[in-house]
Amino acid sequence: MRASPSAAGASLFRERRRFIFALVAPAAAVLLVFEILPILMGVDASLRRFSLTDEEHPFIGFRNYARILGDAHFLGVVMFNTFFFMLTSVAGGVLLGLAVAVLLNRRFPGRTAARTLIVFPLMVAPVVASIMIAWIFNDQFGVANVLVTALGFPPVAWRASPWLSLGIVILTDVWLQTPFFVLIFLAALETMPREPHEAARVDGANAWQVFRNVTLPLLRPVFLVAIVIRSIDAFRVFDTVWTITKGEPGRATEVFSIYAYKEAFVFLNFDMGAAASLVGAAIIMVVGLVLYWGLARATEVSR
Amino acid sequence: MRKGWKTAFFGLTLGALFGLMLFPVFWLTLTAMRPESEVFYVHRGTRLTLVNFAKAWRSPKIQESFVNSAVLATLATVFSLQVTITSGYMLSRFKGAANRIWFATIYLFRTVPYITWVLPLYLLTQWLGIFDTYLGLLLPHIAVHVCFFSWVMKGFFDGIEPELEQAAYIDGCSHWGAFLRIVLPQARSGVTALAILCWLFTWNEFLFALILTGSRTPLLTVTMAQFAHELGIEWHLMSATAVMAMVPALVVTLFAQKYVVSGLRL
Repeated sequence: MRASPSAAGASLFRERRRFIFALVAPAAAVLLVFEILPILMGVDASLRRFSLTDEEHPFIGFRNYARILGDAHFLGVVMFNTFFFMLTSVAGGVLLGLAVAVLLNRRFPGRTAARTLIVFPLMVAPVVASIMIAWIFNDQFGVANVLVTALGFPPVAWRASPWLSLGIVILTDVWLQTPFFVLIFLAALETMPREPHEAARVDGANAWQVFRNVTLPLLRPVFLVAIVIRSIDAFRVFDTVWTITKGEPGRATEVFSIYAYKEAFVFLNFDMGAAASLVGAAIIMVVGLVLYWGLARATEVSR
Repeated sequence: MRKGWKTAFFGLTLGALFGLMLFPVFWLTLTAMRPESEVFYVHRGTRLTLVNFAKAWRSPKIQESFVNSAVLATLATVFSLQVTITSGYMLSRFKGAANRIWFATIYLFRTVPYITWVLPLYLLTQWLGIFDTYLGLLLPHIAVHVCFFSWVMKGFFDGIEPELEQAAYIDGCSHWGAFLRIVLPQARSGVTALAILCWLFTWNEFLFALILTGSRTPLLTVTMAQFAHELGIEWHLMSATAVMAMVPALVVTLFAQKYVVSGLRL
């Protein structure tokens, strides 16, 4: 029994469509129920007066958003911290990652071992990294203060100062994320064409000039991707800040994820938490687009 | 002569960088190995012991947390991979409107901060009656992985030539047959990479665990973070637990490096 060619074609087409549907359906279903639906529930909660302890959740329009955008703490401290953290931790990761990648790109004994070890921080839980580094900077018993007093200075109250506390968090994040940049830059350095470097050498450029004028421009597309991805991740940082400072001293080291969490579960204003988290989501979408567009333009102009 | 200086400078810089990188790990391990009474003066004295590890492991809550985290990570790996391997294959092979829509969806929802959907997930899991259970943790964790892993998997499939599948189609092989028998075996290293990463990501994950668990299903990261705040004084147990929590990371770094790097490069 043989079907005519066109009927066979149609049934093949139908099989193909069913196949495509079956490939995506499970992932799409999970995404729909456990990400998209919650986001919509969050939008709904943000438009109501909604506390986890209340029975009734009356609709109040955009009042929660107005409260957040009128909150001097949210704009002046939380958003400032979030952007400050994003800029410094990404900049630190990029610079350190580039330096390590350039070093590891050379030939030296123990290179394989070094390349193996460098990946380790990326595998460690942010909570564990936070515990380690917080222990070093413990006010009373940390080894950092042992060092400070050994040098003849009075011990530093790291955790009493918002700036130092934030600095410890940033340090932890740089520790965790530098290997990501190292991997990306190393991969790019290894696949880089050799001719431009050799030509520059022949023309009498020194090592720094070659790096500055040949290697760096060739790395620019990689910079773009790495910076955008990491900035978006840094904007939503939670684990390290929560483990190290919980937003303290006072509320001075809160970032936007911490602010939303505290509103929802500590101060029991679930509506405010939901609204704050959506404000943050909107901001990071804009920031992501601007970063991508800005960096893409910058790399085009300078090339 | 100049060359010698350069080599020395290079070696010193590299040594200093790696020293700084490894110091926190070294110091935590040293703390974990000091007797309870000397843990606050790690730098004084040389007595070392392994008793803290045994003590931490004997604490019921810590042990339960280790088991829960391991079970959850394993379940999440199995199910996340099942879901994302096929979705990545679709993205790589079947171009068209459905592909563009799915790709855009993944791209868009990867940018949404976790806090934005984990807060209402608390309500959703309560409402479904799965709050603080394995199921209530597993399903959101699969959702966490859908976007990123579909994308990584697409990359792996892009690297596999489609000729063999097309030959199989001509020989009358079905789509499923070609996918399962021809493509999947070739994607083995990619799947391995993703499995290792998925296990480790779930093991290390904190925010979802914090919000979606209560006292019935303690997970390791949450237990440790509570430790840091509530029992901050018991540094001997704390550091021993944290060192043990790092063991999977160490194993992966030392023995599964080549798989993982291919998954992380994007």
